[in-house]
Amino acid sequence: MMPSKQHPTSKSAKYRSQFRIYVDIMRVIQREGNQGKPTRILYGANLSHDRLVKYLSELKALAVIQESGADEKVYSLTQKGIEFLNNFRKVEAFAGAFGFKI
Amino acid sequence: MEFIAFAIAMAVASQAMKGYRLARERTLLYLNFSFLLLGAGLLVDGLANLIVLLSKFHRNLLFLSRIGYTIDFLAQLVAYVILVIVYLQQTRAWNSQLAAAALPLVLLENNPLTELVLIFLLVYISGQSAINYNVSKTTNSLLVFGAFTSLAVAHVFFLLFTIAPIFFPFAHISQLFGFLLLLGMLFKVNQTQ
Repeated sequence: MMPSKQHPTSKSAKYRSQFRIYVDIMRVIQREGNQGKPTRILYGANLSHDRLVKYLSELKALAVIQESGADEKVYSLTQKGIEFLNNFRKVEAFAGAFGFKI
Repeated sequence: MEFIAFAIAMAVASQAMKGYRLARERTLLYLNFSFLLLGAGLLVDGLANLIVLLSKFHRNLLFLSRIGYTIDFLAQLVAYVILVIVYLQQTRAWNSQLAAAALPLVLLENNPLTELVLIFLLVYISGQSAINYNVSKTTNSLLVFGAFTSLAVAHVFFLLFTIAPIFFPFAHISQLFGFLLLLGMLFKVNQTQ
């Protein structure tokens, strides 16, 4: 399970939850061949620079992504991150079958 | 048949709980409650009928079948009310007045009128799942739509059973078919890469 500070169900249509932002970031990294550059993640996940830095730091602390590269930082999913995304896809498909968005 | 449906309802509840643990999405928790209730009702009804059957319809034990049916009926009623509320919340049509209006329905006793209430709830849920299928066009949403429609049809047969006994097997077959469609959806979901 990925810890989250809040899951505002009622606000989900208006605001992305922190959990959803985590997932979006991880999906961009995966889409980039598991070599996500900060600029690509920033545009792909539709985040400001400050928020991106904050969320990347949180994801690193959760050990679902790792940072590499000296000049230009590159982010990749860890095994834990890949497993999490696979499980999330199943949950998304299950909820989607009932018409529920997560 | 009730025991197969019970096992499938528990599998759906378990999947919903797994999803809730991962995403902390409350709708999945409500889905879990709903299917737990459906499963519990089916189990009680199935056990009551089994005891009556094993006793070779002993006169003193026939009341167990009625109790089992009533518990199953009330469990289904609460389960479907929960699902309707979740769908209403999703469509943002939810308000507290509607909750207050739905609550007394739960307190009704077993009769054709309450069976009609179940049909009404299931038709609403089927309608919502049909809308979902129309939007998403996925096999999973089609299976869920088929399942709820099948359960609605089963209750139409249960209602008709009060008029003619011939409808009894159709009701159970339709109910089982509905749960088998949900099982199919579970298999497909777990194949998702």
